[in-house]
Amino acid sequence: MNARLLALLPAAIAINLVIGGLVNALGLPLYLDSIGTILAAVLAGPAVGMLVGAIGQLLFGLINGYQWIPFGLIQLVIAALAGLAAAHGGFRSSSVTLAWGLLTGLVAGALSSVISYVLFKGVTATGTTAVVTLLRQLGWSLPVAVTASSLLLDLVDKAAAFLLVGALVRALPLRMMGRFPRAARAVGR
Amino acid sequence: MTRLGFDDVGFTYPGATVPALTGCSFAAGAGAVTWLTGALGAGTSTALLLAAGLAPMHTGGLRTGRIHTLGLDPAEDGAARALGGRVALVLSTPATQLSGIAETVAQEVAFAPANLGWPRDRIHAGVGRALEALAIPHLATRDPTTLSGGEMQRVVIAAMLVLEPELWLLDEPTSALDVDGRALLHRLLRSEALRGAAVVVASEDADGLATVADRLVVLTAGRVALDGVPQDLLRGDRIWDAGAGSTSIGTLARVAGVAAPRPLSVDEGVARWAR
Amino acid sequence: MTLAPGALAARAHPFTPLVVTAAIAVAAIALPGAMATVALYAATVILVLATGAGRAALRALVPLAPLWLFLFLLHGVLGDGSRVTVAGLSLSRDGLTLAVTQGARLGAIATASLALYAAFSPARFVDAVAERGWPFSAAYLVVATLLALPRFRARAVVILEAQRSRGLRLRGSVINRIRAIGPVTFPLLLGALAEVDERGFALETRCAAGTVRRTALAPPADRMADRMVRWAAALSAGAAVVWRVFG
Repeated sequence: MNARLLALLPAAIAINLVIGGLVNALGLPLYLDSIGTILAAVLAGPAVGMLVGAIGQLLFGLINGYQWIPFGLIQLVIAALAGLAAAHGGFRSSSVTLAWGLLTGLVAGALSSVISYVLFKGVTATGTTAVVTLLRQLGWSLPVAVTASSLLLDLVDKAAAFLLVGALVRALPLRMMGRFPRAARAVGR
Repeated sequence: MTRLGFDDVGFTYPGATVPALTGCSFAAGAGAVTWLTGALGAGTSTALLLAAGLAPMHTGGLRTGRIHTLGLDPAEDGAARALGGRVALVLSTPATQLSGIAETVAQEVAFAPANLGWPRDRIHAGVGRALEALAIPHLATRDPTTLSGGEMQRVVIAAMLVLEPELWLLDEPTSALDVDGRALLHRLLRSEALRGAAVVVASEDADGLATVADRLVVLTAGRVALDGVPQDLLRGDRIWDAGAGSTSIGTLARVAGVAAPRPLSVDEGVARWAR
Repeated sequence: MTLAPGALAARAHPFTPLVVTAAIAVAAIALPGAMATVALYAATVILVLATGAGRAALRALVPLAPLWLFLFLLHGVLGDGSRVTVAGLSLSRDGLTLAVTQGARLGAIATASLALYAAFSPARFVDAVAERGWPFSAAYLVVATLLALPRFRARAVVILEAQRSRGLRLRGSVINRIRAIGPVTFPLLLGALAEVDERGFALETRCAAGTVRRTALAPPADRMADRMVRWAAALSAGAAVVWRVFG
């Protein structure tokens, strides 16, 4: 832990929570609560990204109820994948970023549906649960309904998050890019 | 005794094509106020970051030459720990220098001493003195994020003063301060020098520093262009050639076509031209 | 959300509400059956009221109400198994039980979490950690983040207003609202990164990442009552787990 991380982590975590809250307030069927995690992973590596995701989820649980904390596992996975993408220049263009985002969405969605079903019997975020309820009405079994809704939502959500962070990092001024050498590698420079 | 020494220092930020500093050499001694100035981009901020060891540690980049801060090379491993609490850094925007965890001004000023493990009594006494010195004891229980820019900057300065540092590095410290605040800061710089600290201040405020500084170092495009007694340099033409300026009266005199050596203050001008 | 003046929750040692809330969360997840979880929820509400954080119980209803509704719909109305008719509605008996159990679980956790958030005092928490000699970095991260949240939120609002005055639409179609994300998040992120730079410098020169044990400026009292409550909470949570595993 150094002073630079002490400055970066609270900002990245706050970004997770504030953008997530903003999207929620806009009433959109998205989370976008992992932007800070992905950004931290791209700028400072997957370990830092995981720390952001973990602490962020803990604080989200503190503020909105501890039932959300198990989903922190997904933040860890997102950080790992974002870090992997960054190490391989995965943010160098929007199409490559999209591919990595969809991959992350797939993994996150699968994991999310498992947690959602096992621990919460399918009732968690209002948006997803609405979709689940709809699918149940149509006769789908609960596990299938939960999996399908989680996957769809996470695919869109993680793709959007990756694209946003990619666009930001590609637009960073040179001096700032110099402060974060991993970012340069992430955009293929 | 030299508290800060630059010897043929060069520095290039990562990704930059032009070095920020080249062949830069100057020294700042204990008990003196050294004033750094130069045109925008001349490298004064970079010099301070290098002195504090923040460049290249935080910023990346390549450094050549030798720097000694309080006898240590600030870029070396272990220097940060050895220099902790002995070097004060004050930047121009107060809000970003706040600790981020203090709920009161007193806690904010106590941040660094507490991190250094000072005994509680010493911290409380130090905080009280620092707040008095910056004329803000009435703000002790206020939330630092609710203060005005000028008040916040005083808090940030107090937070450094409490450490009784051996070396002060200030980068445009007066931009957020009001007239009273600026005067207070200049008095503080002199009293710190009197206490034996070395004060290095990067500033364009010639009016304020003309009578406070003991030494003036002018940087042009990353090089030391001039190094001498402030009053002498401010009166002449060379400082203008180097891309810096003079005091308001000195500037006015130059525009009015007065030859060097020019008056620097209203009193001097009156003495020279009053009939 | 503020506490009632002189509230017990605020006077306790900072670790006490933390441990109690964690214990409630563990117990809520571990306890089996509707009766146990409902009892826990009721006990949580009483505890929160008694310690001066009563508003948390009310505040918790905001996120809980829609969740309870969905639980009722998903498991009560659409659940499997034998049916029972209540007020003309055909409901699943097992589904209802599940809905009540889960609803009470979420209720206890949400109420306790919100009360903890209201009772949390950054300075006392940092001092409590420093007094124990535990790493300052951990306490710093938690507190700095909590205090950064309102600052970032306010900045997001300012950016939102500024973009609105430039013609950004927030109401209307989903596409419109999705378009609003970029113009608000981009400036927020860039500003955050610039701030990280300077704050990093400041924290470095103020030895925030040092290895010396930090001084507690005003160490909070850790009374016998605090310690007893923490032990009781931890043991109760342990008992709940044992009951779940072996009962």
